[in-house]
Amino acid sequence: MFKVNNLKFKYKNNKEDVIKGISFEIKEGEIFGFLGPSGAGKSTTQKIIIKILEDYQGEIKYKDKDLKEYNNDFYEEIGVSFEMPIHFSKMTAMENINFFLKLYKNNEDVESLMKRVGLWEDRDKLVGEFSKGMKIRLNLVRALLNKPKMLFLDEPTNGLDPTNAMILKDMIREFKNQGGTVFITSHIMADIDQLCDRVAFIVNGEIKEIDSPRNLKIRYGKRVVLVEYKEDGKTLSKEFPLEQIGKNQEFINIVQEKEIETIHSGETTLEDIFIKVTGVKLDNENL
Amino acid sequence: MKTSRIWLLIKGELYRLHKYNVLFISILIAIIWGVVLYFVDSVLFNALLPFLILIDATMMSVMYIGSVMFFEKKESTLSSVLVTPVTNQEIILSKIIANTIHNLISTSLIIIAFIFIKQVKINYPLMLIAIILITAVFTGLGLLLSYYQKDFTSMLTNLMILGFALLLPSALYGFNVLKGNAWEYILLLNPVEAASKVIAGGFKGISLDWHYYFSLFYLLIGGLLTYKYLILPKFKDYAVSISGV
Ligand SMILES: Nc1ncnc2c1ncn2[C@@H]1O[C@H](COP(=O)(O)OP(=O)(O)OP(=O)(O)O)[C@@H](O)[C@H]1O
Ligand SMILES: [Mg+2]
Repeated sequence: MFKVNNLKFKYKNNKEDVIKGISFEIKEGEIFGFLGPSGAGKSTTQKIIIKILEDYQGEIKYKDKDLKEYNNDFYEEIGVSFEMPIHFSKMTAMENINFFLKLYKNNEDVESLMKRVGLWEDRDKLVGEFSKGMKIRLNLVRALLNKPKMLFLDEPTNGLDPTNAMILKDMIREFKNQGGTVFITSHIMADIDQLCDRVAFIVNGEIKEIDSPRNLKIRYGKRVVLVEYKEDGKTLSKEFPLEQIGKNQEFINIVQEKEIETIHSGETTLEDIFIKVTGVKLDNENL
Repeated sequence: MKTSRIWLLIKGELYRLHKYNVLFISILIAIIWGVVLYFVDSVLFNALLPFLILIDATMMSVMYIGSVMFFEKKESTLSSVLVTPVTNQEIILSKIIANTIHNLISTSLIIIAFIFIKQVKINYPLMLIAIILITAVFTGLGLLLSYYQKDFTSMLTNLMILGFALLLPSALYGFNVLKGNAWEYILLLNPVEAASKVIAGGFKGISLDWHYYFSLFYLLIGGLLTYKYLILPKFKDYAVSISGV
């Protein structure tokens, strides 16, 4: 869907590049995640590929055509949810939604969207009277209004309680299952781990690693099996390397002869891997 | 550019002028001025009415569009409009047209009231042209000014300074402090002065000399050029700079 090649970007007032030559691809039908600490350049990258920031270097292709060749009809096909609320506070939720809805050719069924995020009852309330979480949920409705083919979500679950975060994640998955493509930025590890088909680790304007969460765990995780078993009334534990485990005689003996209490494969969390790969902590209280 | 979309945007703008109480305030101000004018004697009245129309179409236009821009800045709503198929041209034109309609209503209120109460002789078509042209031009200038202001307060302060600077030379010339023919020409380049000439033409009994026609075309052409070379091209930079999202 998107091909980004050697992208560099500098804000006008800054000396240094904020994005330092990154390359990645967003494939059609996948959920692609950008994971990185605050200030890494996640939102900046999103703003570049949705054609808000223009003076970038490098090449971006959308459906094999240079992004710069698209006019504003580009926005008929994409939906964007920003990091912060973007609604008129002195208008009701419905007035806001209807205003934006009419600017598009394709219109989603607003009632079912609003019901889904649990805002239908509050549709005639002023957005100024909404809680932070309600505003964020309204952002997702706003992003889905035009039945987009591609969704851009900047920190979509930030500031949501677990129940609502779960609803939002379900909606994002559903969007994907219906053929949609998603770009999502986050510094919340769990979101990325649960949602993304592939993830890029971004630190300080550079991508350090791109792969599926599963592959990352296989490549960087400690590949071990931890066995806890009973011996002489005591619980003992032992670690075995996962390679050639079927030929590991000591492991086989324990499994065959002892009373096993637990067996785990050594799961390294995505966060451990992030730290290992980038040398940087995600420093986030939500972890 | 799509007409149907511009119309939607204009309706949206007008609705928000109402929701954000800008419409209410402007009508209130029109009523207050009306009351003041009602009680002054006719000599003063004849001098004050054109002046009030001038202030309403120039300074107030800048202020109203300024308040609109800063409401939007505070709520980051422009970002949301930027990711729709709407073009920058459509966004700007809709703001200028909506604010011109809005100001036309409040200015007309003053004028209509006085047609009934006092004997004002208005050349309606010319007055309509004057108000629409001046309001549109100054709304555009206000838009441009707002690109470069941090907040509404600094915009107001600069507007006061600018307004004073623009009105002072004309006043000094009027009181004969500035003498000489050269000033007559120099002052014509001042958009507020040009606006006052065009408004004067909207009253009956004023002969339309070359000053009038010069001012009319000066505002028209100057307005279009400012739109093409400043207001439109600088908009994207502005919109991006405030999209802190
Ligand atoms: N408008 C701007 N002007 C100048 N510098 C900016 C601007 N916006 C962001 N930056 C800088 O660019 C860098 C990347 O910012 P960006 O917002 O992309 O980070 P992020 O990864 O989205 O962080 P967060 O998780 O906090 O949202 C930061 O160093 C930031 O200070
Ligand atoms: Mg960000």
